[in-house]
This record gives sequence, C-alpha cells and structure tokens, in this order.
Amino acid sequence: MRISIRHETRYQYSASPTRVTQILRLTPRDHDGQYITSWRVEVDRPVRLSQSEDAFGNITHTFTAEGGESLTMLAEGEVQTHDANGMVTGTSEKFAPELYLRETPLTKADSAITSFAKEITEEARGDRLNQLHVLLAGVHRGMIFDARPTDTTTTAAEAFAMRRGVCQDLSHVFIAAARSIGIPARYVSGYFRRIDGVVDQEAGHAWVEAYVTGLGWVGFDPANGISVTDAHARVAMALDYLGAAPIRGTRYGGGEEVLNVFLKVQA
Amino acid sequence: MLSRTADNLYWMSRYVERAESLARILEATQRLSALPVDYGGSTNEWESAVATAGCTASFYTVHEEATQETVIDYLVFSDQNPSSIRNCFRLARSNGRAVRTALTGEMWDALNGAWLELKDLDSRGILKGEELGRFLGWVKSMSLRVDGSAYRTMLRNDIYWFSRLGVFLERADNTARILDVKYHVLLPEIERVGGGLDYYQWSAVLRAVSAMTSYHWVYRDSLKPWLVADLLILNAQMPRSLAACYGNVGLYLDNLARAYGMQGPSQKLARSMRAKLGNAKIDDIFQSGLHEFIVDFIGTNNRLGAAISEQYLT
Repeated sequence: MRISIRHETRYQYSASPTRVTQILRLTPRDHDGQYITSWRVEVDRPVRLSQSEDAFGNITHTFTAEGGESLTMLAEGEVQTHDANGMVTGTSEKFAPELYLRETPLTKADSAITSFAKEITEEARGDRLNQLHVLLAGVHRGMIFDARPTDTTTTAAEAFAMRRGVCQDLSHVFIAAARSIGIPARYVSGYFRRIDGVVDQEAGHAWVEAYVTGLGWVGFDPANGISVTDAHARVAMALDYLGAAPIRGTRYGGGEEVLNVFLKVQA
Repeated sequence: MLSRTADNLYWMSRYVERAESLARILEATQRLSALPVDYGGSTNEWESAVATAGCTASFYTVHEEATQETVIDYLVFSDQNPSSIRNCFRLARSNGRAVRTALTGEMWDALNGAWLELKDLDSRGILKGEELGRFLGWVKSMSLRVDGSAYRTMLRNDIYWFSRLGVFLERADNTARILDVKYHVLLPEIERVGGGLDYYQWSAVLRAVSAMTSYHWVYRDSLKPWLVADLLILNAQMPRSLAACYGNVGLYLDNLARAYGMQGPSQKLARSMRAKLGNAKIDDIFQSGLHEFIVDFIGTNNRLGAAISEQYLT
C-alpha cells in the first residue's frame, strides 16, 4: 500500500523566545514490510538540522532556532508498505528483546493492570501469541477512546483507572500489562492510513510491538483493536512515548505557546 | 519501450561494468603476485582471480594451470570465455548497436571506439608487466568514458534507468564476489591479525574497489578486517559498496515503477535487500557468518536479476 504523509507542526509564541531546541523523530526507516520512497524534514527557520540516530536506532534530527514568533516543522514523504500479518522483521535492532521488559514511569503496571493481565494469562494459558491477542481485545474493548481526560504525561495506571485515553494511553496500558506477564513490549509511533478514507488527522498514531519467542516482534494496535497491517507506517520505537515522541524540545523565553498539528495521511 | 530494447540497454551496461571489474581484479592480482611469497602468502593469486571472476569451472576445461599467462589470456582475450574483457566489450557494443537510436552520439562513440580499438589488439604483447598495467588502465578508462557520457548526455527516462540498473546490479555482484573470495582473510584470527600477509590482502581488496583512500577518510585507523567489510558492505557513501549499489538499484526501480504506474517482484526484492543492508550491523554479520551473508547476498542479487528479466526484459 502506498501511504503519503504530510505532517506539519506549528508553534506560536506570545513573545519571541530567545532560543528553542528540538529533537525530531519524524523520519521512518526501511524494514521488511516498509520502504521509504521519498522523505524530507524541513524547518521554516534558518537552522542547522543535524541528523543522527538514537540508542534504539531511530533517526533523529536536532536543531536550535533563535528568536521568531512561530516555528514550523514539516515531515513529508511517501512510504510503500506490505502486509506481513502483523510480523515486524528486518528492523534495526540495537538491543536484545529482554531490554523491553524494563519498566518506565509512564508504563508502570499498578495492581489493577497487573491483575487485569493476570486474568488474561488465565484465559489464554501457555501460548504467548494467544495471550497477546486476548490482551489486545481486552484493552480495545475495556477502554474508551477519548482525548479529553488525558495528556502526554498521563501514565498507564491513570489511564487504566479512568478506562479512557487516546492511542498513546491504550498502548501504554498494553505495554504495562504485557511486561507484567513477562512479555517484552515496546511503544511505536507512526502514521495510520484510515480505512474510512478520512485524510486529515489530529495527531500521529501509536501502537505496540511485543516479542514472541520463536516468532519475533509482532505489532498490535490497541486503539483500533487489530494487528498492524499495511495501513501502518512505522516511524520510531522506544520503551514508552517519551522515547519515541515525534517532537520533543525545550525553550528559553517565548511566553505562552500554542501548538497546532496539521496531518494528512492518504493514498 | 519494447522489452527487447530494455534488455539491450541493461546488458550493454552490465557488460561494460563487468569488463571494468575484471580489470580491477587483475590489477589487484598483479600487485599481490608481485610480492615476495612471505608477504603474498602461499595461495595462488591467479587462481583466486579466476574464482572472483566466477569462471573456475570453465577455466579448467581450457587450461590446466592458473598462471599469469593462462589467466590473462582467459579473462582478457579468450573467445571461449563468454565474459572475457574482449567479449564484454564486443557484447556491450552489439547490444548498444541494436538500440543505437536510444543512445546519444557520445555514448555510442565511446562504446564503438572501445571495441574497434580492442578488436585488432595483439594479445601477445600485453600479457605482462608494464604493458599489462597500461592495458588494464585503458579498460577502466573506456568504462569511465561510457559511464561518463551516459551520465552527462542521456535523457533521464526509462532508457537511462534501464542502463543504470545494469551498472549497479553488476557492480553489486562484483563487490560481493571480491568479498566472497577474500572473506577468509577478512575473518579475524587472533594470531594472524596485523601480519604482513593480511595487510597486503586487505589493501588489495580495498584497492580492487578504489577504496584505499576512502577507508582512511572514514575510519582514520589502520587496516582492520571488520572495518574493511563494513566499508564494502554497509557504508552507503562508498560508491561500490553493496549498500550504495542497492540504494541506486532501488532508486531506478522506483523510477520505473512510477513511470509505468506499476510495481512488481523486482521492486519488492530490491527494497527488502536495501532495508536489510540499511539496518544491519557489521558485528552481527560477522557473528552469524560473513561467508553466509555474502552467499545469501549473491543469491538474492541473482534472484533480483531474474526478477528484473521476468518483469521487464522478456
């Protein structure tokens, strides 16, 4: 499937900041199920955009801009994908799968998540892949997609307590539950081409990859309740949202900021 | 475009590239065989030149022993060897002539001129020493002329893309073959690392792909086998590396897919190999076996050649 993506992020500052530093994880890599036909990252200011790779193998761009009342970052390109039945192979792997058992503040399993995961293991005894599919259905059914009550700092436990959240929260809950039953899991950020044909989206997408011994990494999308398909374009991967976030940054001055995202994902 | 035309363009470039690679292999061999036995090692360098050219079996049906004379004769002039330098230029030129109107004047002049010069060349005079070196230099400069005139004069459409595909597929095959024959010297063995033999073998591998200076620019280090392999396999900046070749193969296949509005198995194969080379680490390749990796690569590259043939050239 061909997916073309145009992702624009614009900051508007009430006063021009002295300095803004950003790190972008907005550039996808090739793997077996995905091939980047063209891609570019642009910043609307005269900056030195330096490309590098983080510890997980994600492609990063960093820059520092000075002054200016707004800042726009654009990632644009075309990705060709193949359906691999949810399997994710041929990726750049810097660590052993066991690393992805590591708990982070955003993905810490509280007693509620732990017992939720435990029920799953009892329902689907033994077979890890089966457990993950039951977990996928459980998170998808048990949580309501709702952007209002959560933000980027909401933890898995908080979201699970409300039974509400966006793709980021559902992924965090899935990851926390999977890790609590000994399955390595990681957070993936990327883009999803919607089946209903809606092109304009409010934000990028997020899902999960879990490691099944003998099979490798398998992708699960709890927000949509499906395994990953050729409608998913994978960009960055890490232990949680903070490691795979499309844009992170810091600034000196600038007063209040307003953030707008314009994202188009289409054929 | 007729598939026949595409086929001619693709093979025209493959043969020119092959002639150049043979010249490079022979240059490296000549250099190694000129070293004292203590440095050069006990292997017969002329024999491994035949192996790198991929014609060991057919060679021994004609000659009994691999010596400088027999190998030069077979790899450069022999009519019995379908891939001798002489035959490469002959076939490149006849493929080019079949699509003469698709080529620019400069390109045709380069192709035709090379063949005319080579056709009547007396083979006896240039089997050795300085004359051989001069001749191999000439082969490389002819390939450079064809390549350069294509790059500078041809319209960027499917004609150009098919000819470029041939160049990079052949080049990938050749780099992989050099690595395949020399992989035993690239494997780190503690007692031999840093020995004179290794140094000359590694530098011969690098010189065969004109990468001696690049090596020092990239690594700023003495010659280390895993770094040599890293440069020749994974470094996309090195124009003869497998990664660079597949970057280009992918690019030209993408152009064709876009122009024809259709993609097939060859795009898929090329993309998956490009992804593999883009994500691989040299430590992992050594750990799971350099030899296996290269054998697998050569196999995939051949499959891609067959897929391109199936999809576009027949």
